[in-house]
Amino acid sequence: MPVHLQGPWSPLLGRLSLHAIPYNNSIILFAFALAAVAAVAVIAPVLYFKKIPYLWREWITTVDHKKIGVMYIIVGLVMMFRGFFDGLMIRTQQVLADGPHSPHFLDALHGYIPPYHFDQIYSSHGTIMILFAVTPILTGLTNVIVPLQVGARDMAFPYLNAVSLWLTTVGAALVMVSLFVGDFSAAGWVGLIPLTELPFSPGVGVDYWIWAIQISSIGTTLNAVNMIATIVTMRAPGMTWLRLPIFTWTTLSTNIIGLTAFPVLGVALALLSADRYIGTHFFTAGQGGNLMLYTNLFWIWGHPEVYFLVLPAFGIFSEIIPTFSERPLFGYVTMVAATFAIGGISWLVWLHHFFTMGAGPAVNTFFSVATMFVGVPTGVKVFNWVFTIYRGRLRFDTPMLWCVGGLFLLLIGGLTGMMLAMPAIDYTVHNSVFVVAHFHCMVLLVAYAIFGAVTFWFPKVFGLQLDERSGKLFFWTFSIGTILVFVAMFGLGFMGETRRLDYLYDPQWLPLLIIQEIGIGFYSLSVLIFCWMLYVTLRHRHAHVEADPWGTSRTLEWLTHTPVPFYNFAVTPQVNARDELDWRRRGGMDRKLPDGYAPVHMPSNTMVPALIGLFAFGFGFGMIWRIWWMAGFSIVAVIVLVIARSFQKTPGYILSTDEITAMERRVEGSSIVAEQPSRPPLVEAEVH
Amino acid sequence: MAAHSRDPLTHPEVRQATTGGYAAGYGVSVILMLGALLITQQHVLAYPTFLWLISSLVVLSLFSQAALFFGLGLSPVQAWKSVSLILALPLFVFTIGLSVWMFNSLYPRTMPAMNMNTSQPTLLQ
Amino acid sequence: MAIPTHETSHATPDSVLWQPEVEAHDDLAARTLGFWLYMMSDALLFAGLFAAYGVLDHAYNTAGGPGARQIVHPLDGFWQTLAVMTSVFAFSLATVAMKMRSRPGVILYTSIALVLGLVFIGLEIADFRALIAQGAGPDRSGFLSAFFVLIATHGLHMVFGILWMLVMIVQVARSGFTEHIVARLLNLRLFWQFQASVWVCVYAFVYLRGAF
Repeated sequence: MPVHLQGPWSPLLGRLSLHAIPYNNSIILFAFALAAVAAVAVIAPVLYFKKIPYLWREWITTVDHKKIGVMYIIVGLVMMFRGFFDGLMIRTQQVLADGPHSPHFLDALHGYIPPYHFDQIYSSHGTIMILFAVTPILTGLTNVIVPLQVGARDMAFPYLNAVSLWLTTVGAALVMVSLFVGDFSAAGWVGLIPLTELPFSPGVGVDYWIWAIQISSIGTTLNAVNMIATIVTMRAPGMTWLRLPIFTWTTLSTNIIGLTAFPVLGVALALLSADRYIGTHFFTAGQGGNLMLYTNLFWIWGHPEVYFLVLPAFGIFSEIIPTFSERPLFGYVTMVAATFAIGGISWLVWLHHFFTMGAGPAVNTFFSVATMFVGVPTGVKVFNWVFTIYRGRLRFDTPMLWCVGGLFLLLIGGLTGMMLAMPAIDYTVHNSVFVVAHFHCMVLLVAYAIFGAVTFWFPKVFGLQLDERSGKLFFWTFSIGTILVFVAMFGLGFMGETRRLDYLYDPQWLPLLIIQEIGIGFYSLSVLIFCWMLYVTLRHRHAHVEADPWGTSRTLEWLTHTPVPFYNFAVTPQVNARDELDWRRRGGMDRKLPDGYAPVHMPSNTMVPALIGLFAFGFGFGMIWRIWWMAGFSIVAVIVLVIARSFQKTPGYILSTDEITAMERRVEGSSIVAEQPSRPPLVEAEVH
Repeated sequence: MAAHSRDPLTHPEVRQATTGGYAAGYGVSVILMLGALLITQQHVLAYPTFLWLISSLVVLSLFSQAALFFGLGLSPVQAWKSVSLILALPLFVFTIGLSVWMFNSLYPRTMPAMNMNTSQPTLLQ
Repeated sequence: MAIPTHETSHATPDSVLWQPEVEAHDDLAARTLGFWLYMMSDALLFAGLFAAYGVLDHAYNTAGGPGARQIVHPLDGFWQTLAVMTSVFAFSLATVAMKMRSRPGVILYTSIALVLGLVFIGLEIADFRALIAQGAGPDRSGFLSAFFVLIATHGLHMVFGILWMLVMIVQVARSGFTEHIVARLLNLRLFWQFQASVWVCVYAFVYLRGAF
């Protein structure tokens, strides 16, 4: 019983028509031109150098965890750029639209963006940054690093890993398509209810938001299954639980959260879709619906999601700080305990996102106290890092700079979080930009960890080190931007500025808004420096890099060659200590190679995951525009593909001893960016 | 992912299947649900007692299924399944329990008074 | 140099650094563990639905329409309980037949489980049709939305299980017990037994509690 919609609908195209393309909006036209230029800049060289077969064979059909991780990170970085651009537009609008005499441009009454468009911009900014930038980048990092850290050749389920990647990519693609076909949700990244209900958002914006998140979060859940199974079952001999690197521990904890929290988000969004598509009354304002139920379900996921993001960041700190302090991590066991304490408590605090709902004092007190408890394990972690640094032999390479910067953000974000944990304070500053500044400190801490991690592990994956000089410049411009934007934002919060304003009524806020605009200017500069850093790095790409380019790394991933061969380890390492590489280095054994090689069994590439992604996109697009034949066909196609693949025999192939010996001598040939000769798959009889 | 020529049917998870165990799990579950049905049809218990009793029967039934159907335990092949279930159990309680609790404290504070004689008891009353 | 013990602070030339003879990973165990983890995730999905049902099962949310007491029939629900339980029992016996290397046994018991699953779905559809005919469909009130979606989600899982059984009957008949097929049968057993566990909760907290 699909709900009756007002407006045109045709069986062939659903709600889609030429009017869906906003060709009369100059800002979107500019964005479209930008995207077109970027697309040409990417596609033209691919066509010119005839790289499509290479892309197809080595990347699109791959099941290699490192390539999949790299693609996750690329998707995340592209989306982060988009999210940054949204942020730039928000800041510029607010500084232009302050006070009744503020200027107006284009077709806006104040500033340059009309309210409805502005609402879409902040909604997509939040959705993108959290779900399509930071989440994929972290997933990508864990994909690249964790199998290496536990000494495995790949993830437990390489094929499933590729499916997860393509589902996440489909979510990101739907968000990007919404920019040019139709519009995006104007109801905030949290989906403010009942604004997301059909009577108040009759367009396709909310549907884009729902299906983009829904499809990508299925990918995230599958990835969590894979990651936990990998850590539990694929560890190298000798890798006992108390020898597991902290980054792997935090990945385990974060994926337990991912596994258990994302289905609740799925429920919240599915019930909302039921309201919008079949006319149920879960969250409607009348007919027995309960709007706060949506908010409740959303934040049951939403708060664990915060720790889903921050725990890998803590893991990254725990890898980088010991490396550049040349000391083992202080308090390893307490660090593990704190990781799991944070993961556990994260399930007991979600109501602090809506203290003002009006639940009784007992309920608010419970969630307030639980929230404050998070400070205890987090404090343990901070002290552990500080004690690791204390009396260490410190080096401030770029990754270490990002970590120290991140620690300051953790301090500011954490302490303001403690303030917000008190319902009395929360009632005062609820919905103000003080809250926005607080959670930006926390999410930026994750971004700092990400930039640190990318710099730290870049040489391991690609065999070339990111340029240090421009990397440091990137750090400093980014940090100045952070300080200017968010210190001013804390101030504006205290002065009473509420969130999500397209027009600011108080002219006294202008000085702080201008400071924020200068800050976002520094951010923009840092984006350019980031691109410059990539350019300089690629220009000097022939410099030779050691297995351990930092010289003081401690864990297993630095043991194998740089760049990592596609089979990871020619021979599985035996783990003897918590910081295995450091242990070998102190005995002078870190360069000792295996005596001989044995054949290695590898999984074959497959195009099924990319096809599943394609049909998942068709399903999402069909549902959004209510093109029922397209959605139905796509979902049936996905099911048929999954069943058909289960009939296929997938024996993989064998790398012979000779091949491995040859590649071990000339590592570049086995690097993940190198093109591999095609190898015949095994015959089924050889497997069984 | 290594290729090996082991016979999959010798795997401990295949070997753990037993007719007796499954029959016992089936019998216990059906009898417990039949008991719960009879208790409901009697209509003699007060609501809190009724709810406690039904919930206990459900918990017993789930325990018997975990042991007899899923064969959970501490053997090496099953240990991680048991651990993950034990880690997940509190989350079910938090998700459902805290949600119901917060809305039960919300309704009297935000909704107009209702004649509770005509309505059914909620989960916490 | 200190005499090497098993816990030295650094590597020595005698340390074992590489393990060429690592025994193969237990793929079957990894696959059932992975599937079990997915089921934990699925269980949380049901937890979310039960939370929604727990909140919406309130006089405020019936919007003047029928409440649980007016629409549930515990005895009818019991026949569904019996169908799903017997189906699970039958499929469990199919895996006992697999242990005995009996292809016909697996196919026979899987077919019984499949038919009983269809009976369950049939009862559920009949139940839903009757309610919708009375004007008590999912679009009537918040409570009925929660009621329908909770039960239909379980039903959808059952449908996927039935589809899976069809595939497995064909695969067992075609190729016997390869490692992939054994792993799928084990996972299907977990999936099917899990549906029984979810149904116990649905039956007790929706049908029985609703009838109080």
